[in-house]
Amino acid sequence: MNRKKIIELKNVAKSFDGEVVLDHINLDVYEKEFITLLGPSGCGKTTTLRIIAGFVTPDTGDVMFDGVKINDVPPYKRHVNTVFQKYALFPHLNVYENIAFALRLKKTSEEEIYKRVEEMLAMVNLAGFEKKDVNLLSGGQQQRVAIARALINNPRVLLLDEPLGALDLKLRKDMQNELKNIQRKTGITFIYVTHDQEEALSMSDTVVVMADGKIQQIGSPTDIYNEPENAFVADFIGESNILDGVMLDDYKARFSGHDFECLDKGFAKNEAVDVVVRPEDVDVVDPEKGMLKGVVDSVTFKGVHYEIIVTIDNFKWMIQSTDYVKPGQKIGIYIEPDAIHIMKKSEYSDMFGDYSSFSDELEHLSDATEEEE
Amino acid sequence: MHRLAAAPHIVWSVLFIIAPLMFVIYYTFTDANGKFTFSNIASLAQASYFEIFMRSICFALIATAVCLVIAYPIAYFISKAKPKTQKILMMLVMLPMWTNFLIRTYSWMALLEDTGIINTFLGKIGLGPIHMINTAGAVILGMVYNYLPYMILPIYSVMSKIDVKLIEAAYDLGSNPFQVLTGVIFPLSLSGVISGVTMVFVPSISTFYISQKLGGGNFDLIGDTIERQFQTAYNYNLGAAISFVLMILIMISMGIMNKYSDGETEVVV
Amino acid sequence: MKTANKVYTWLVFIFLYMPIAVLIFYSFNASNSTSAFSGFSLYWYKELFSDSATLTALKNTLILAILSSVIATVIGTLAAAGIYKMKNKYVKSGIMAVTNIPMMNPEIVTGISMMLLFVFVGGLVHSSSTLGFGTLLIAHITFNLPYVILSVLPKFKQMDKHLPEAALDLGCTPAQSFLKVELPNVMSGIVSGFIMAFTLSLDDFVISYFTIGSGFETLPIRIYSMTKKRVTPDMYALSALIFVTILILLILSNMTSDKERTRMSQKAKKRAKIAVSSVFGVIGVVTLIVLIASSGTKTLTLNVYNWGEYISDGSDDSLDVNAAFEEYYAQKYYEETGERVKVRVNYTTYASNEDLYAKLKSGANSYDVIVPSDYMIERFIKEGLIQPINLENVPNYQYIKDDFKHPFYDTGADGNTYSVMYTYGIVGIIYNTEKVDEEDIGGWDLLWNEKYKGQILQFNNPRDAFGTAMYSLGIDVNNATEEEWRMALDELRKQKPIVQSYVMDEVYNKMESGEAWIAAYYAGDCLSMIENNEALDFYYPQDEEGNYITNIFADAMCIPTSCANKELAEEYINFMLSEEPAIANAEYIYYASPNTLVTENAEYQDYLEDDYDVIYGTIPEEDLPELFDKYAFRNLPQDKLELENRLWEELKVDASSFDPSVYIVCAVMVAAVVGFGIFKYVQKRKRRKLYWNNNAKSPATA
Repeated sequence: MNRKKIIELKNVAKSFDGEVVLDHINLDVYEKEFITLLGPSGCGKTTTLRIIAGFVTPDTGDVMFDGVKINDVPPYKRHVNTVFQKYALFPHLNVYENIAFALRLKKTSEEEIYKRVEEMLAMVNLAGFEKKDVNLLSGGQQQRVAIARALINNPRVLLLDEPLGALDLKLRKDMQNELKNIQRKTGITFIYVTHDQEEALSMSDTVVVMADGKIQQIGSPTDIYNEPENAFVADFIGESNILDGVMLDDYKARFSGHDFECLDKGFAKNEAVDVVVRPEDVDVVDPEKGMLKGVVDSVTFKGVHYEIIVTIDNFKWMIQSTDYVKPGQKIGIYIEPDAIHIMKKSEYSDMFGDYSSFSDELEHLSDATEEEE
Repeated sequence: MHRLAAAPHIVWSVLFIIAPLMFVIYYTFTDANGKFTFSNIASLAQASYFEIFMRSICFALIATAVCLVIAYPIAYFISKAKPKTQKILMMLVMLPMWTNFLIRTYSWMALLEDTGIINTFLGKIGLGPIHMINTAGAVILGMVYNYLPYMILPIYSVMSKIDVKLIEAAYDLGSNPFQVLTGVIFPLSLSGVISGVTMVFVPSISTFYISQKLGGGNFDLIGDTIERQFQTAYNYNLGAAISFVLMILIMISMGIMNKYSDGETEVVV
Repeated sequence: MKTANKVYTWLVFIFLYMPIAVLIFYSFNASNSTSAFSGFSLYWYKELFSDSATLTALKNTLILAILSSVIATVIGTLAAAGIYKMKNKYVKSGIMAVTNIPMMNPEIVTGISMMLLFVFVGGLVHSSSTLGFGTLLIAHITFNLPYVILSVLPKFKQMDKHLPEAALDLGCTPAQSFLKVELPNVMSGIVSGFIMAFTLSLDDFVISYFTIGSGFETLPIRIYSMTKKRVTPDMYALSALIFVTILILLILSNMTSDKERTRMSQKAKKRAKIAVSSVFGVIGVVTLIVLIASSGTKTLTLNVYNWGEYISDGSDDSLDVNAAFEEYYAQKYYEETGERVKVRVNYTTYASNEDLYAKLKSGANSYDVIVPSDYMIERFIKEGLIQPINLENVPNYQYIKDDFKHPFYDTGADGNTYSVMYTYGIVGIIYNTEKVDEEDIGGWDLLWNEKYKGQILQFNNPRDAFGTAMYSLGIDVNNATEEEWRMALDELRKQKPIVQSYVMDEVYNKMESGEAWIAAYYAGDCLSMIENNEALDFYYPQDEEGNYITNIFADAMCIPTSCANKELAEEYINFMLSEEPAIANAEYIYYASPNTLVTENAEYQDYLEDDYDVIYGTIPEEDLPELFDKYAFRNLPQDKLELENRLWEELKVDASSFDPSVYIVCAVMVAAVVGFGIFKYVQKRKRRKLYWNNNAKSPATA
């Protein structure tokens, strides 16, 4: 690899009050990269970020910056800056002073401060807001001030801790684009923490999926989506039907009482595996043309498509289709070989997949908005 | 560095809060020659000291109850007023405390005396003089007067934070105004009442100036007895013993109050 | 309903403001009465600004309040930051519990506990002046601390906990983060904590009362010693001024904050900044003034501790003796040494010999000149609390009549002179001629006359009070047996129900205003009272044969062993014996003077008119030594002293004033509360039972 590593976490572990939060993780962050730590609340992503920022000292393992160990370097001597979850703007300072804060500490000349602050304000589209009271800004504006404040130091790495969590949906989309633009323009490495998989997929160069203090998978957004490594990743990223299956041979898998062709190989013969089929990859066909047949339980209109729950062989499938079917209707489904992804069994194998307890998913999401420590 | 920030305070507390209390205990259990003894505590078992303790407790309890009865409606009315009026009224409640309490109490003497302002006025409209000064009532009045703001303040600050929606909800569910008061407002303001009661009871039970001026020295309270041991009789040991018992007494009554209040909230919920 | 609320609110506010209205009203009174308004006048406001003692007390109070609240704010803010950061729950709650002690404990307990500490430490280091500004400052900081912490700590808790992290992240060191981010964010808590501490310190009496020493007087302490006799209306004037100042400040702050509410916090912050900087500005100015005042010239300080109303103090156009001494000695010092000095007399007062004894014996107070009575001087000599006076430094001693040079209490047996007599006098009975029948007067029995129930005042010190009973019973006051002491106690107990109150100098106000009709008091003071109220008269009690049977006493100036500047003390004593001050004092206090410069002064004799005979003539001078021997109080043996204290305590705590109504009210109240509690408890039990019953059933039905 010719890209330069900027941050390395080596075998880092951390527990609070005997509870393991990070379980010996290894992570490399490269220069100019937009890397996202993604996971549900309590997975250790924020702790990882705080270790990099210097607010938390790991119990074991090393934190390297440019190849130098920085475990004991205090936060104010690190070349990283943070955009905090609820922005942590200084309420006693106005917009200008908030942004100028870091430069003032360095005893920069007033002209230089003025120039840089104006630059930053222009970059985050807040020109003219200098004298505003930060407490009176909208969430999005506060967000921009927080970014400008963190970037004015020209950090090598910018850490963002669920920065868009408090914004409404529309604003969040706008900010996602803006953040991505800023990252591209400045060329600063962004380490971004979120529980929102869509955000992670749309913005990142690299996604790090975490759960239970461990890294589950590191990869590009497409890799993560298309080739999840285990049931957890498959379930957490997008919607998935995860079925128990057996790998009969290379390119041949059996599940739901039917043999399917697939593109996966390298498994032992008759190895038990997890099979992932994305809901949008399932085609609804007439019962007689279908590889599998079942009865529609429910149909929900979702705008771009219908969400159809079908029971097949005691397994509730989710299917996204633009064609309407009636509840109670008998249908068949058809799956292309490239729509099937085979994963090795893991500790998460039996925890996900069936859509009989669909609402859990929603709870799971709302939980994740809570701050983890 | 942050954790060390409390260090000066901790050192200060040990030197000037804990150490002095140790001395109270030391003097309580020693005689004038520094020998260990129980006689100071034992001498408090006399009927006359028991009487003083009982009297102080009674006076303080009555004063506290009167304060509560006067303060509660006032706090309620103020919390109902417009925000600006609230602010002004609370300011007016606090303002008298900026005038020295000794001189305000002395001023009450001038009001209550047999030849004082009130009796002169009564005399002019043909009503006989009413003997008020140097009575138990005068002492209790002095306590009520001096400590009333301490009762109004905490009750008001709790009441002003009660969500109006809760009261609306109670009306919505069919409560009449009295039921709203007893069922919603009172339970919610209980924490203010408790701290008000503490803030009135403790200074009332230990005062000595009010009883001296308005009671004419005929109603010795615990405070008077302590003060006499230190300022006149030069009997630090007895004085410390009385203080020690007073402290225990207050600790017990606070304990009871906390327990009682806990029970109350449980009933409410 | 609405109007009822308003009426009620008005009534409560009238109740709260009535005494304040009274004192403001009477601050404009032309006379010094607090019952009769004799015309509008600004006299007392003028008087206030020439009352140097009150102004000094005001200055002291302000300095103390500012220093203690600033220090408490600094320590308290740091402590709040530290406590906020603390991880261990038990340590945290432990510290909070200790912090809250001065707030929960009765003030008197805090006061005496600190006094015990200071006295003990003072005893350890053999310091005779432990109590003073320093101890007062420590005490004030101690009771201010919890209020500062409790107003700052919540602000830390409310602060976004990521703010300090954001500061570190942006390059602040932890110290910078504290100063630049945390401090500004908790500033409102700091300011309100500071104001609270300042107010409390300004108004504190109880804790100051126990921890104050000689030579430093705060306003509340001065007011207290005034209320022991009478409060001069210039104190009312001061209170009125303070009240109006605060009122205006509050109105101003209220008005500005209303205007600013629309513009919100940026302005509010600016205002807070201005407030803080102006507070610090005031602190700076005050400190500067103090520094200039103290650094400019050397100050010689003399702590004089005397009876109340016992010196010519400049009121009613009299000579301000202390001020005269300050001037006189500064001049004399300059002539002798060529150096300019400031002389300052710290003049404070006590109400009884026993109070003086308690103060001196604690060993924590340093006084230079005190004026105890005969028997107490004997005791002081015996216990080594006063020292011999070098008479070479008191040349005016020659003017003391020979008979008074070595009285019984200071015989000079060891060749030393411990005291220089200030005055002597006789205890008489003062009564209101309009109320008391002529045939009832003459003896001590007037004090026991049931006819005047509730109108009689008794001494509030054991020696004099037991004295009245013993003279009345014909007991020898100096050689009474324990049985006789108990007889005297019974006599006083018998008297207690008809006594209005036990007083010392409060007697002035009560007799002059007609509030009380009969009192036993010292002759000179009685004449002062008659001067102010023509209806009063007094007599020396006699037995059936017409012999005077009453206490005769002498008060003399002494120098405590703990005196810091003995030569200055001797200068002061000498000055008090010189003609002008001695006459001024004698004219002012109406006591008999042992000083020939006074007694032989024609003007003085003219000034007193008939009173001269009352003071000096009633008892022929040649009889005095005999009467001294017979009726003066002598120092009692230790066992009798202890007995006296014990019996006095018994009298004071006696249950004679039992008032059942109070106890009945109290009992009814407690019963009501307990009853309510039980009712609620039963109700709760019932509900719980119902709940359990239903819950037990529900699984079966489901």
